This record gives sequence, structure tokens and C-alpha cells, in this order.
Amino acid sequence: MPMKKYYRQRKKAANNRSSKSKKKSKISRVPCQAEYDPEEEILRKFDMDMAYGPCVGVTRLERWERAQKMGLNPPQEIERILKSDKDIKVQQQCLWNKKIGDNYKIIEYYMAA
Amino acid sequence: MGMDREKNLHRLQSAYGCLDEGFEIGKEAYGGQQYSHIYFARLHLMRTLLYSLVSHWKPLSPVCTVLGLEENKECVIVGTLYKHMKLKPRILDEYAKERSVVPLVKPHNFVHSDDYLVLEDESGRVKLGGNFISPSQYVTGLVVALHGMSTVAGEFLVLDVLEAGLPPQIDRPLKPREDKYVVLVSGLSIGSSNSNPLQLQLLIDHITGHLGDVTEQSIASQIVHVVVAGNSVEIPTGLLNGQNLASKDLSRIAEPIKELDIMLNQIVAGLPLDIMPGPNDPSNFALPQQPLHRCLFPGSSAYNTFRSCTNPHCFELDNIRFLGTSGQNIDDLQKYSEAKDKLEFMERTLRWRHLAPTTPNTLGCYPFTDRDPFFIESCPQVYFIGNQDKYETRIIKGSEGQLVRLICVPKFNETGVAVMLNLRDLECHPLSFGTQLSS
Repeated sequence: MPMKKYYRQRKKAANNRSSKSKKKSKISRVPCQAEYDPEEEILRKFDMDMAYGPCVGVTRLERWERAQKMGLNPPQEIERILKSDKDIKVQQQCLWNKKIGDNYKIIEYYMAA
Repeated sequence: MGMDREKNLHRLQSAYGCLDEGFEIGKEAYGGQQYSHIYFARLHLMRTLLYSLVSHWKPLSPVCTVLGLEENKECVIVGTLYKHMKLKPRILDEYAKERSVVPLVKPHNFVHSDDYLVLEDESGRVKLGGNFISPSQYVTGLVVALHGMSTVAGEFLVLDVLEAGLPPQIDRPLKPREDKYVVLVSGLSIGSSNSNPLQLQLLIDHITGHLGDVTEQSIASQIVHVVVAGNSVEIPTGLLNGQNLASKDLSRIAEPIKELDIMLNQIVAGLPLDIMPGPNDPSNFALPQQPLHRCLFPGSSAYNTFRSCTNPHCFELDNIRFLGTSGQNIDDLQKYSEAKDKLEFMERTLRWRHLAPTTPNTLGCYPFTDRDPFFIESCPQVYFIGNQDKYETRIIKGSEGQLVRLICVPKFNETGVAVMLNLRDLECHPLSFGTQLSS
């Protein structure tokens, strides 16, 4: 019930401002930390760096290789992370991949209806 | 055929090299990508090139990005042009509640005096102002360098334009050669209501040397290569109505291709032939069009002289580089910009160093992610486009001594004209066939 908690917290905040803001930030940070590790953080930053071109529709490695081929000197670290064969699966698709795909599905759904 | 030894003519040969790799889609798998990639690749490629030219062009002006523009400060910016066009048909118009009331003045051209250009790069976009740059010449998708300054109104006042210019040309050996001819033909449109099989048969007989006397045959023996540039067949699309086809209709649909195969068979038995797909042919719609499948030509494909190629098609004959399309790129430019003739459009594409700048905006194109196949790296000696209304040709010269023969190959079906090009001096002349008896 994250929604309720959030709501309650806001109410409290109306009474005491300083304590409210602290608590709020704590709560919102927790689920984010659980979602991805520092390596994913680096990869996401790479996704968002416009200097290497659009990221949707190509894998992260393809995007890195394209940047390399074009002489844009993408960070070596990205390649290392993407090619590392760790037990933990490294996300090969970019940050937006799933989300944009889902949007298409929604559009298709409405078009069909 | 009582030919004695002296009259026994031998067909000349030439060294052929196919340079279509860049136009092959190959194993590329579509992964849901959009067209941003091809624009990114194009901008990166062209900008690197333009930056290298800017230092000679405007050595005193700083280079900046659209976002870094400062008011009233002269500078150079490089980016992709976008032409805002009032008359350009938009798919959303169909859904608009109020239908557009702007009538099309010329249905084949969407240029309007209110059109304006916008330049964009990764950082932003800016509207271009001033009288120096005329929107009617330019099209969306082109990468240029502009010299000018930002005005109070937030526009960029253009003072000068730099296009990439003719690409460098690989010098061809200047050794004296013998006359060797290449025949370019397009728009055979076999299967269309007004197709004239006799006319085509005359062309084939001329190429293969079955026509005329010894002088004519000796010319025919100097033809070393034939290029068929698109629209070879016209499939009776009226039969395709979304229903399953009856077996007799199936064979009727295949009829034009069968006939084409029989015709090409006669040529490939004697000399090499390249066939490129065109907008009416059974190939993919989006450029680069992939080669027509060999199984469409069971007879001709048995010969190693038969080559099914991509559109655009790039090849070398005796070190002379040819580049050609079936005409879509130029036809699209004609819809969205203005020039005095087709050759001028062709010249522009060379000077822009981009074969089809309107892809993917108004011309279909495969969404490449890592390259822009239409970027012209090396200047061809012969640049041809197929399926035009009339035969036109011209030679253009570049600042670095480049020499390019431009050719508009007319629709053979309508004009009865094919084009003969001499490899020795790049001279070319039309080859006209008529079947009407003049009374």
C-alpha cells in the first residue's frame, strides 16, 4: 500500500514541515535502490548521453560499437560491463526499451478496439 | 550464317566490379528502431566532413551549436535542414475535424512561397531567416553548414551556405581505349496495356547483333554491358483484391515476369546484364530496394552474366564508376523542391553528397542504425536515374577536377529510347526504336 503511506505522510507534513521532507525522501529512495545496481546506473547514464546517438531500438552493445566506429570514444567501462560474464544478468537493452514497447502495445490495443 | 573469318565479330569485354555492399540490408534484423538513428548517422558523418571544410571556408568565424548561439555574433552552425511545408500532405489531415482548405496548386509539387527552413542538431533547432537561402531549392534531411548570426527575433540570419560539395573522384587511367558501349534502359513495363513487345524485341536484337548489316553488328559487338534500371514489369494489380486468387489469375499475375525472363534470356546469353528493381517491380518498397529474387528468372539466372542488383546500384566497369537509381530519389526531390530540370536535381544530390536526402522523411527507407547508405563517399564517373519522361544528359565538373556524366534514362515503354554510353570518352547518345510505319 505505498499509495496510502504516501498520502498519510503528506497530511503529517502539513503540521511539521521539516520532518516531512526528510521522511518523504527516505521512502521514495528505498524502492529505487532495490531496483538496480551501480553498474546499471552507469549504463543508464550511458543511455542518456545524447552524444552517442539515440538509444531506443538498438542494444547497448550495438550502440557502444556504433559510437566506437564513428570515433566518438565511448567509455571503455561500458564495454567491460556489457561483455562481462557475471552471474548477474547485465541488462543489454536500453533504459526505455520495455517502456516504449509497452506504449506501443497500449496504442495497438486502442487501435484494435 | 555463312560468315567467313574476317567478318566473324567478337564481342568486347570489360572488367566488372559490383559495389552494392552498402545497399544490402543483409542479415539486419528489425528491432523496433525508429528513424532517429539514420538521421544521427547522417548528421555525424556529414558534420565531420563539413567541419573539416569550415576552417577553409570561414576561418574567422567560431563554430557553435544551435543551443550555443549568441545574439548578433557571427558564427558557423552545422545541422540537418527541415523544411516546413504548408502543402506537404500529412497523414493526420485525414483525421482533422476541419479539412484543410488550402488547395494544391500543382498536385505534383508541394512547394509554396510560405515554406521556411529550420536547422537542427542534437541541441536544438532554429528557424532560418534572410534572403540568402531559398527554401525552394532545399529539402528536409540535408546536412549543411551555415554562416550567419542569431537575430533578436530568435531566427538565424543566414549569410552564406556551405554544402559538402562533389565527393573526391578516383582518377581513372587515361590510357587510350577502344570504343566500348554500355546500354542503359528502364521502364520496360512489360505487361502494361501500352507495352509494345516488338519495340523491345528490336532493342534486344540490336544489342545482341541480330539486326542490321556488318557496320551495325560491329557496333553491337562493342556493347559490353546492359543495365535495366527499374520498372521492368507492370503487375496487373487489379487482380489483387484481398481475396484468394483463382489459379488462372495466379498465372496472369506471373505472366509479365515470365515474359521479361524470356526477353532477358536473349541478352544474357550474349553479354552481362544488371537488373535493378524499381517502384513497380516485385521487390521491397523502401530504399534500398533489394535484388529481385533469382527464382523470378528461371531462364536468365542460369547464366552467370545475369546479375540481379540493388536499387541504388553502384558498380565499376573498366575502373569507371557508375552510380544509379531507378529514379525514386529524384522524383521525390521534384515533389518537394524546385529546379529547372531533372539533371539539376541530380547535380544537387552529388553536391550534397547524399543520394536521397528526403529519405526517410518523404521517401521510404529501411531504418538503418549504424550507417547512412545513401551518403556518397566517392564520386562516380557516370550517374544515371531511370524511369524519366525524357532523355537528358550533361557533364558536370567539380572544383577538384571531378567529371561526372549525368544521364536521365527515359521510360522505354513510352519513348522507345534506350541510352548508349561510350566508356572511352563518356559520350552518350539515345538509341531510339520505333515500330510505327510513317505514312
